Amino acid sequence: MTSNSLVSINELKIDVRITKSLRLKIVDSATFDVERGQILGLIGESGSGKTMLCRSLVGTLGRRGAYIAGGDLVFDGIDLITAKPSDWRDIRGKRIGYVPQSALAGPNPVMTIGAQLAEAIEQSENHDKDYIRKRSLELLEIVQIRRPEIVLKQYPYDLSGGMKQRVMIACAIAQQPSLIVADEPTTGLDVTVQAEIMDLLKRIRSEFSTSIILVSHDLPLINDVCDDIVVMHAGATVEKVSSAQVSHSLHPYTRALYSSRIDLVEPKGQLVTIKGQPPTVGQWPSGCRFADRCDFVVDSCRSASTVPLVSVAQDHMTACLRFDQIGK
Amino acid sequence: MKNQALRKILGRLVRAFSVSFWVMFISFTIIRLTPGDPATARLGVEAGKAATDALRKQLKLDVNPIQQFFSYTNGLFHGDLGISLQTGRPVLDIVKSTLPVTLTLILLSTAAAVIISIPIGTYIGWSGKSSSVYAFRTLTSIILATPNFFIAMIGILFFSVRVNWAPVFGYTPQFPGNLKYLWLPVAVNTLIMTAVVSRVLSSSVLETKGEEFVETGIIRGVGRIRFFWFYILKPSLAPTVVLLSYMMGTMLGATVILETIFTLPGIGREMIGAVLTSDYPVVQGILLFFGFITVALSFTGDLIAFWLDRRVKI
Repeated sequence: MTSNSLVSINELKIDVRITKSLRLKIVDSATFDVERGQILGLIGESGSGKTMLCRSLVGTLGRRGAYIAGGDLVFDGIDLITAKPSDWRDIRGKRIGYVPQSALAGPNPVMTIGAQLAEAIEQSENHDKDYIRKRSLELLEIVQIRRPEIVLKQYPYDLSGGMKQRVMIACAIAQQPSLIVADEPTTGLDVTVQAEIMDLLKRIRSEFSTSIILVSHDLPLINDVCDDIVVMHAGATVEKVSSAQVSHSLHPYTRALYSSRIDLVEPKGQLVTIKGQPPTVGQWPSGCRFADRCDFVVDSCRSASTVPLVSVAQDHMTACLRFDQIGK
Repeated sequence: MKNQALRKILGRLVRAFSVSFWVMFISFTIIRLTPGDPATARLGVEAGKAATDALRKQLKLDVNPIQQFFSYTNGLFHGDLGISLQTGRPVLDIVKSTLPVTLTLILLSTAAAVIISIPIGTYIGWSGKSSSVYAFRTLTSIILATPNFFIAMIGILFFSVRVNWAPVFGYTPQFPGNLKYLWLPVAVNTLIMTAVVSRVLSSSVLETKGEEFVETGIIRGVGRIRFFWFYILKPSLAPTVVLLSYMMGTMLGATVILETIFTLPGIGREMIGAVLTSDYPVVQGILLFFGFITVALSFTGDLIAFWLDRRVKI
């Protein structure tokens, strides 16, 4: 763990309260760092705990009855686990921007785009109207929305999915936060728009040197954009690898995700899928949780009490007991 | 866009006018489809043919229905709704004297229901605490399952007979003296409306709560009052507003029961009296007013809903 990290997550555990006595483990071993100015891809199937991790970074776990049950979560020197509501007011929006999961439901349907941007710009400071308008137009130009003057007066209802998501990105960067959390920002958008949004995020990083956590289940989509890839499986980080090295991954799950991509340029005959289903949330088997779906499984994978995340190379960590035999 | 919104509103206005025309047409037709001859009804079967024919001529019933419709429409535009067969009073006068009573009853109970429902509905929908939701559902179900006349009678029994806070019957049209007679029927009506409105509002709020944009608003750190209005109430209010405008329309006719129990000289009671005596110009006139008011209410309701939330189709 370098001291330069903007976000440092170590052995983070998130539980959700089902009833008074029943607790369900959603995330139980998330470990990774986000460097300054880095785009980090967070990959995993549904139920792997990606969204809950994002929520822990913006402090909205409580809304879904979830809470942090252990581990460390530090953002820019601030311990987010013990952060008070007043601390959150200074962090949310100002230092951590958030781009919601669904582009279609992200913007408030009963406010004009201008009003939402103004809200994102203003927050606690009282800027005058001219400044807000100028800044709104500037933000819309950064996210490449044409005819911004007109868009300001429109409702989300009038915009396409891609434009809505651009507006959400504009809102997220309004206060120039040092981190943007984008939770599956391209869900429900068509492929060309997805690529445009990815380009936009990349440009924002290079222009403002903002760190971005980009959550997705689509490894090929984000691999070009990201510097590092963190793979989550069944509530645990199973691998952290630089995007350039993804094809040389040492975890069978990452390899499976990578080979199940659809190559549009050079279509191959057979579509590769991952066999089996991810284990039910909170009812994870002991030992390696990927064992039942893994081609490389041996008895010791199941009998091991835990599978530690070990450093195998510079910037490469993996949680596989047999990593030294994979990739050969 | 501005123009698009304007076009939608204009389209809705055109529809309101066309519905008004059909209201007029149907209120004219339906009364003529009922059995019985008004002239005979008034003069009695013993009256000679000459007398009945004379009355027919006076009532302009001797020409064919199409001509009758045109002369009726023509009268309408000059403020002439005909005269009562029973009392000879102009229908417009009857409406003018009875409608304010009913309207006061409806407006007061609607206002009270809105004021009470917004905090209750929002709280129940937003908190989602199972114990309070359960209590709320049970209570509103009981209220909704009880007929309004029963609630009214219990109200009279308690407030008028036991503690003597409200007169058992009577009315005075002057404000504020009329409130003495109106408060109990208004309270009964408010109770029923609150049950419906707060239920609808709470389920809308519950739905809004799960929306992604609410999460975005929290993360953006929106101030408390702004959040309450723009992220909870405004996106949830449209169905409630539409429901309210519809309820107010149907209540025009439905208050007849309350007006009878509380002996209020309202338009509903007048209407029942007119139906029972085949006083068809009065029935026709009142139906017409009911129709126009209902159309105007639903137009206003749709307009407010559209102003609140552009996703609403009008």
